[in-house]
Amino acid sequence: MNTQKIIETKDLTKTYRRFQKKEGLRGSIQGLIKREYEEKTAVNSVSLTVSEGEFVGLIGPNGAGKTTLIKMLTGIIAPTGGSIDVLGYYPNDLKNAFKKQYAVVMGQKSQLFMELTVNDTLRLFKEIYEIPEADYRDSREYFAELFGVKDLMNVQVRTLSLGERMKMELIVALLHSPRVLFLDEPTIGLDAVASKQIRKFLKEINHDRGTTILLTSHYMEDIRTLCDRTVVINHGSKIYDGGTEELFGRYQRNKRITAVFDRPPYRREVEVPKEQVNDALHELMQYEPKDITIAEDEIGVVVERIYREGEQQNA
Amino acid sequence: MRKNINVIKELVRLRFQHLMMFRIGFFGPFFVDGSLFVVQLMVFSAVYANVERIGGWEHGQMILYIGTFSLINAINMVVYFFGVNSIPAKIKSGEMDLYLTKPVSPLLRLSLEHINPGSLPLILMSLVIIVYGAWEAELRIETGIVLSYLFWVVLMCILYYEMEIIFRSISFFLISTAKMEQLESACLELCMQLPGTVFYGVYKVVFYCILPYGIMATVPVKSLVGECTPATVLHALAVVGIFTGITCVLWRGGIRCYNSASS
Repeated sequence: MNTQKIIETKDLTKTYRRFQKKEGLRGSIQGLIKREYEEKTAVNSVSLTVSEGEFVGLIGPNGAGKTTLIKMLTGIIAPTGGSIDVLGYYPNDLKNAFKKQYAVVMGQKSQLFMELTVNDTLRLFKEIYEIPEADYRDSREYFAELFGVKDLMNVQVRTLSLGERMKMELIVALLHSPRVLFLDEPTIGLDAVASKQIRKFLKEINHDRGTTILLTSHYMEDIRTLCDRTVVINHGSKIYDGGTEELFGRYQRNKRITAVFDRPPYRREVEVPKEQVNDALHELMQYEPKDITIAEDEIGVVVERIYREGEQQNA
Repeated sequence: MRKNINVIKELVRLRFQHLMMFRIGFFGPFFVDGSLFVVQLMVFSAVYANVERIGGWEHGQMILYIGTFSLINAINMVVYFFGVNSIPAKIKSGEMDLYLTKPVSPLLRLSLEHINPGSLPLILMSLVIIVYGAWEAELRIETGIVLSYLFWVVLMCILYYEMEIIFRSISFFLISTAKMEQLESACLELCMQLPGTVFYGVYKVVFYCILPYGIMATVPVKSLVGECTPATVLHALAVVGIFTGITCVLWRGGIRCYNSASS
């Protein structure tokens, strides 16, 4: 893997000023004369380095600062403090040479023309990114084949399913072969099958084309399947930056053992620390169970633990 | 430059394709805008039927003024009005994010994304009125005069565009700009009916310098009827230059302080 650093931030900070209105009409009148503002730190001193070809997951609860961080990395908003370097540029300078090297897909914002076909949108992007005709045709064919949407390229976007539309969003984003792909909740609202397909394609793009991918998602399945490295953000601060498996290994502490018996109590469920599984199994076997299953901690519980304990350790 | 032309061509093509997806939507505006224009003419006729001179201008010059203002307004409606008008909504919804991340001027793309061919008949009708006005005013048509008139029309279309951008760029800094847009349409309505020659004193300062709608159709008509003094030329060029500067500063400043919208 190429280890060239392409994203580097140091103490990156973004604060917003928000007006605090006191309750009721009196508060409104006071607000007209004298306003009180509070500083909201959306991203707090985040230092981050991403090397070319990496697939990095960015997780955190709602309002943690993930999207704000992505917006600063893509130049949409300017940071309040710290330093930032993406592909050798200060993103908020919004240089075209910089914008040609990355793509961003936001799960809740579409860049497709709803009333037209995907091919129509692609034509516009071909001109915007100055892609030569032959390269454009090759890329379009490659991605339509990869995503299995060849038959849908001439269909009105409005009539596509959510999963198909997300595949099209990815094709539009990848058309100019970006070096970095920022994905903000790409699987939001998708069913299990569509999410799985999207994950498969993203893995291929990262692996085959060497595209660096920074992914934010609330679905831990996305992060576990795709990202070798995970960054956890909570209340704007980075609370973990390291291997994804290591992260889950650290916080996935318990195993849930379910035993089924022929006689009462018929079914017994126990949750034990990972290291005590052998002892627990040994004890259960004495009751001659009909069946035994061992499951990991529920993902939701693990995530909650990551956010809660990560925050405490960071403090 | 070449890239921008290609992008513009593609935006126009896409817009036509988009409009042609809806047959009634495509042909409807021709009739709607045409009808609106006729209504507007009837209002003008009613206002000016019993008036011989307004601000020193005779009937023929007034017709030229109405035709010129309609022409500038029609060009605005065809080319950039609907695109520029969508800017505040895109800022508020955070949709601007998608424009900022593409390697093409967001303003260019926004301005030309919603061209409106439905208003093309307005341009033709305006030209008919201008020709009629020229005949009524017994103008001697020479190439130089026509070129000078066209130059001013183009320049005033730019000024009109800049005024629209300025009003809409305020959305970068304020939550609601509805009242500003009301002010804009009130000024336009007034200046569409009264030539700049009627303004004196503080009104002249307002409509010549602060909200320069008063010069938009007045200067091209002055050039056509031979009333364009060096002072008028210098003033008009200075206003366009200054407002170009203000537009650039405001737009760039707006982009810099854009905070997107919470997703």
